[in-house]
Amino acid sequence: MISFNKEQIFIVTGASSGIGRCTAETLNSLGATVVAIARREDKLIELKENAKFPENIHIEVKDLAENIEELPEYVKSLKAKYGKFSGMAYCAGVGDLKPLRAVEYNDIKRIFDINYFAAVMFAKGIVDKRNNIGKGFSMVAIASMGAIGCAPSMTSYSGSKAALIASFKVIAKEIATQGMRANTVSPTLIQTDMADETSRQYAEGKYPLGLGDVSDVANVIVFLLSDKSKWINAQNYIIDCGSEM
Amino acid sequence: MDKAVFLVELEDILQREEPCAENDNLEDYEEWDSLSKMAIMAYYDKNFGVKLSLNDLKNVSTVSDLIKLAGNGVQ
Repeated sequence: MISFNKEQIFIVTGASSGIGRCTAETLNSLGATVVAIARREDKLIELKENAKFPENIHIEVKDLAENIEELPEYVKSLKAKYGKFSGMAYCAGVGDLKPLRAVEYNDIKRIFDINYFAAVMFAKGIVDKRNNIGKGFSMVAIASMGAIGCAPSMTSYSGSKAALIASFKVIAKEIATQGMRANTVSPTLIQTDMADETSRQYAEGKYPLGLGDVSDVANVIVFLLSDKSKWINAQNYIIDCGSEM
Repeated sequence: MDKAVFLVELEDILQREEPCAENDNLEDYEEWDSLSKMAIMAYYDKNFGVKLSLNDLKNVSTVSDLIKLAGNGVQ
């Protein structure tokens, strides 16, 4: 039911693995052009080679945590290279499972850099009306159920995602007058590289529908990027199969 | 700040794809909305030490009027 055309160009950050990669693959298989951004070039090449329409995947190697203040300029350079963007999925992110007694200021900064500061500065670049298509533009950032459930050992991570949810709501309201949208999704623990053995053990038996797969989240993101969700704005979608962890 | 530099800065603040000129009427710009006005206020405060209110901007009609609000900030 959802389809795109190749003139619709979406940026996907964190595209080398997990939910980001699945989002890039899904957008591409439905006909959209994807600019896939991540640090690991080999993984991006793998994504492109295995895509349904490899010619519609463009890869950009970049560490978003470097030169965060220049991200709006970076987005501008991508626009000059590829054209105006129809949307973005901000899937870059890092986790940090530590009790407060083990948290240091630098841990919090590292987590906020990529999960929050880079997300907001990237959003600043892409909602600049010179860099996007205007009406019909949609962006989604991956937040986390951690921002709502606030389980122990997630001080930095939960904080960064809660900040992200709040700021994306603000941005959504700022851009709505131009027919543009922004939403976040908040998955619970999903089977990705980020979910280590400790998290998996912790999650065992807690999900009535079983452990979530990357496509369970990517499909919601793709729906929110498509015009099928054109009346949905400034929302945070909880994807946790009702476990409320 | 040189006037020519300011005009380029203004273009960026308003996220315009066309250049700004002194005689342009701001009401003719589709970008001249409340968010742009707030952005102008932040810019004037940071760069010229001028604290504007939304009321100050109500009485502005041309780019030239806007420049006058910068005092000696824009020559």
